Amino acid sequence: MMYWVRHVTAYSYADPVDLSSHLLHLKPRALPGQRVIQARIRALPAPDHVTETHDHFGNAATRLFIARPHMHFEVHAEALVEVDLPTPPPAETTLPWEEVARLAVEGTGDCALAAEFSFGSAHAPVLAAATEFARPSFPPGRPILAALVDLNNRIMREFTFQAGVTSISTPVAEVLRIRRGVCQDFTHLMLSALRGLGLPARYVSGYIRTRPPPGQERRRGADQSHAWVGAWIGPDHGWVDLDPTNSLIVKEEHVVLAHGRDFQDISPVRGVILGGGQHRLSVSVDLEPEGGN
Amino acid sequence: MVDGNGQIRPHWRALIGAVGGLGKPQLDERAGRLARAAEDEGVASLLPGITSTETGWRCDPIPLPITAREFAALEAGLTQRARLLEAVLADIYGPQHLLKEGLLPAALVFANPHFLRPGRHATNPPHRPMLHLAGMDVIRCPDGIWRVVSDRTAMVSGLGYALENRRLMNQAMAEALVVVKPRALSSFFELWQESLQRLAPHGRTAPAVALLSPGHMQPHWFEHVVLGREISAALVEAGDLTVRGGGLYLKTLAGLQQVDVLLNRAEAAQLDPMEFPAAQATAGVPGLLDAARHGALTVLNAPGAGLAESPALMAFLPALCRRLLGEELLLESLETHWLSTPGARDAVAASGDDWLLRPATDGAAGALPMPGIEAAARPGNLAATRWPIGSQAPSFGRKGLAPMPVMLRLFAISDGEDWHALPGGFARALEADHPVSGRLPQYGLSKDVWVLAEDEAPLRGPGPQALPPLPIRRSAGALPSRVADNLFWLGRYVERLDRAARLIRAVLARLRRGSALPHESAEVLALARCLRDAGLIGEEAMPTLAGATGLVGALGRAASPEGAVGQLQSRVAGLAGMVRDRLTADMHAAFTHALRKARAAGEAAPGGLDMLSRAMVANMRFATVLAGVAAENMVRGGAWLFLDLGRRVERGQSVLAEIEVLLKVPPARVEPGLKLILELCDSVITYRSRYLAVVQPAPVLDLVLADPSNPRGLAFQLAAIQTALTEVSGDAEDDLAEEAATLTRQADALVHDVLGAHDQPVAAAALPPRLTAMAETLRALSDAMTRRYFALLPPARALGLDEATEPADVLP
Repeated sequence: MMYWVRHVTAYSYADPVDLSSHLLHLKPRALPGQRVIQARIRALPAPDHVTETHDHFGNAATRLFIARPHMHFEVHAEALVEVDLPTPPPAETTLPWEEVARLAVEGTGDCALAAEFSFGSAHAPVLAAATEFARPSFPPGRPILAALVDLNNRIMREFTFQAGVTSISTPVAEVLRIRRGVCQDFTHLMLSALRGLGLPARYVSGYIRTRPPPGQERRRGADQSHAWVGAWIGPDHGWVDLDPTNSLIVKEEHVVLAHGRDFQDISPVRGVILGGGQHRLSVSVDLEPEGGN
Repeated sequence: MVDGNGQIRPHWRALIGAVGGLGKPQLDERAGRLARAAEDEGVASLLPGITSTETGWRCDPIPLPITAREFAALEAGLTQRARLLEAVLADIYGPQHLLKEGLLPAALVFANPHFLRPGRHATNPPHRPMLHLAGMDVIRCPDGIWRVVSDRTAMVSGLGYALENRRLMNQAMAEALVVVKPRALSSFFELWQESLQRLAPHGRTAPAVALLSPGHMQPHWFEHVVLGREISAALVEAGDLTVRGGGLYLKTLAGLQQVDVLLNRAEAAQLDPMEFPAAQATAGVPGLLDAARHGALTVLNAPGAGLAESPALMAFLPALCRRLLGEELLLESLETHWLSTPGARDAVAASGDDWLLRPATDGAAGALPMPGIEAAARPGNLAATRWPIGSQAPSFGRKGLAPMPVMLRLFAISDGEDWHALPGGFARALEADHPVSGRLPQYGLSKDVWVLAEDEAPLRGPGPQALPPLPIRRSAGALPSRVADNLFWLGRYVERLDRAARLIRAVLARLRRGSALPHESAEVLALARCLRDAGLIGEEAMPTLAGATGLVGALGRAASPEGAVGQLQSRVAGLAGMVRDRLTADMHAAFTHALRKARAAGEAAPGGLDMLSRAMVANMRFATVLAGVAAENMVRGGAWLFLDLGRRVERGQSVLAEIEVLLKVPPARVEPGLKLILELCDSVITYRSRYLAVVQPAPVLDLVLADPSNPRGLAFQLAAIQTALTEVSGDAEDDLAEEAATLTRQADALVHDVLGAHDQPVAAAALPPRLTAMAETLRALSDAMTRRYFALLPPARALGLDEATEPADVLP
């Protein structure tokens, strides 16, 4: 599938902001199965200084610096992306999950690098309750992908999707307790659960294709940012993306922005401002299949 | 001191010749001299106990000697190990071969809080050297070999104390230094300065170097002051810096000045709130890391270099040394195991020795040695280090002369190619019950380290780079705004202290006479009003018809360290500590002695009127010392200007306030008020020499309000303010300076009106509202100055961390 992604973030402030610095993770990364045909970022007011680098995880990172008083700040990110993530191997043929965990500790080469995502992080720590939650899906010797799909399904079944009851700072333990939340919460929960078993699992930020209700037009800007889990299934097959919010293996309905240990590593727009007083934020996202719906 | 055969090590013999002749009384005397020298140098704060910056380090009169041969071996090991650690860091923050090859466990890097991901990019190798200054704590094992306990690669403390110890020893143990002739430390610091020239971003000649300190409230502030001065680096705090156009700048009174090299002494993970989401938004400088990333700035040591401090890393260094350098590791670590390695726990438990158990990735954590069985039973991600029975050195501690185990910190710097060791170090006695930690404790017994010279070979570097001639500068533009602010308030508080002391002394002079004459009681009441308005005593202490007994007690309380006067002393000491880097050693010593005397006198003040009076005189002496030292020692540039401005503004305000209080009386009682005004303004003698004994309103008011030659009068202050503001702004028509001129004209007009009045006392008694208005104008002027020159930017805030990504719709 080929998609146009348009992601607009707009801040307006009650008082002038004298100085602002922003770090963006808004350019989709190139991956096996994801081709970025074009990607660009426009900001208003025009920044005084812009830098583009790749961060530690290999994501594109854009930094914007504005040193003039401003009351509004807008970032328009636009990209044309072709996605067709590789189909994972049949679940029953994958390695036993314990073997994957062992390779993360003892393996060299890619295994040692994948191991980075087997340790707890700020928003997805290793947590006894999360590990316990994962256990039923991980009986001894079960092929890793079968176990992952089971856990992915259980999260969708056992948790209620509800916006507004959690924020990005809601800890995994709380999500486990209230059994509801949004995509980030489910992603962080699943990361915690897998890491507790010693399995490398990473946070994937991006977008998902939505379909208008039958008989209605697609509304522009109604789409949203999304998050899901990348799980490592061993050195031969590498990473498989699973979406616990929708109980899906990610294939071509998603566009990947960035990889990290959790939200904090790759938040789409993060900034430090001087001044500004109260602020209002509006975000609009459009994921449009190239050539219309 | 003694070798394995019980023989005195030869290098102790010369020292014993020089020091050994000193008995306990002499050693006591030397220790006392060292303590006094430390006080003068400002190792301690001005007043003990008022800031956390105080270091409790004492310098032992007995140094730690190291022979030339022994040091040569240490030097070779130290520089190799520093080279190794730098290469390890460059790999971890670059291609990560060591991880992929399994030479380093992933957990020690990826689960290490000191692995700072913003310091690594997926595509570019890091700027090198990542390590510029390295420190190593070594201990001498029973086999006579020095081994490493801790590697220090983030904020390497102790170098300033090493330098300071040598200075103190030069003062207190000069004759021993002459006999033993240890190698000088100075060449190391020259080399350091030169290396910074080389490490500056490409093409920056005469680079500007800044030393970033977490601030005057942090324990190592004094060290930062010493080092900044030694290598000519501007001492800055994060709030002094800003990133513009991709470069780092220092905010000074003359605008932004680019910084080329930043020596970082702050927590690396707090350097840049944009890059580190866990950092406080108000700490650090947004964009700093990006400036370094793109080569516009060199940060040393590189953010993330602290990873090399991980105790568990020591277990892997021999193999890493072979892999990266193709060499055997010369300076070994104490035997160390990472307890997550299979079999490590059993090996530790099976040994009969004591082990130091530290978090695997936290080199700053403290630990006490414990038996192996106990150590192996501890859960967690730990490193165990076999704890030796360390060599002991004679030390003159609190309990007299005794052998104590000694930890030695060695230092090396890199100029980008070669490493150079400090021919000396910072040694400290290890107290039995104090945890062993890579972080220097804040107190203890330290020793100067004397590397014995066989020949006087100076430390050689690649030779200084030719510097372009510096342009002549006479302006004071480079004064950071924060420092100017602190100096201004130091001036104000010293003056406020002086003023309080003068007022209290004037009251005391009357109370001590004990006379109950009506005019004296009236004077006491008038002065008490001044005291009350200045916030020195409360309403309940005001004299009544029954007498002034409450007043005496209140004055005693005010003068004590907890009272209003004591608090002023504390503010003064705190501010002087903050501007420590702007004061010469002589100035600092003079301040310290005078202020400590005033403090001691204040402690005795509640003991009676005489003691109280003495305490006030001590405060006034302190203020006089400060004024004299500043006048004779400070260049008339920015620092002095702001110190003086503070003083002038404060004095102008208090003169106005006191005259207003003393004239707020019926016209018949104006004359006694005028006399008090002359007394408080120290102008009695001048008045008498001009007008003899006749006291009239216009001449008095002229002397204290309008005569620009009276340094205790208002006009003098206004003229000084006007001159200073003109100079600071560089604008002959500066609007703030113009405000001061307006006030001068108002003072002239006021005296003129009284002089021309039909009844002078009536005219004088009508002045208070006009004086109030003038005081208000002066206050507004001070506020305007604060806004123009010191106004700090509003605090920074982080955005985008609390905004949850909105949920996606569930697919149909």
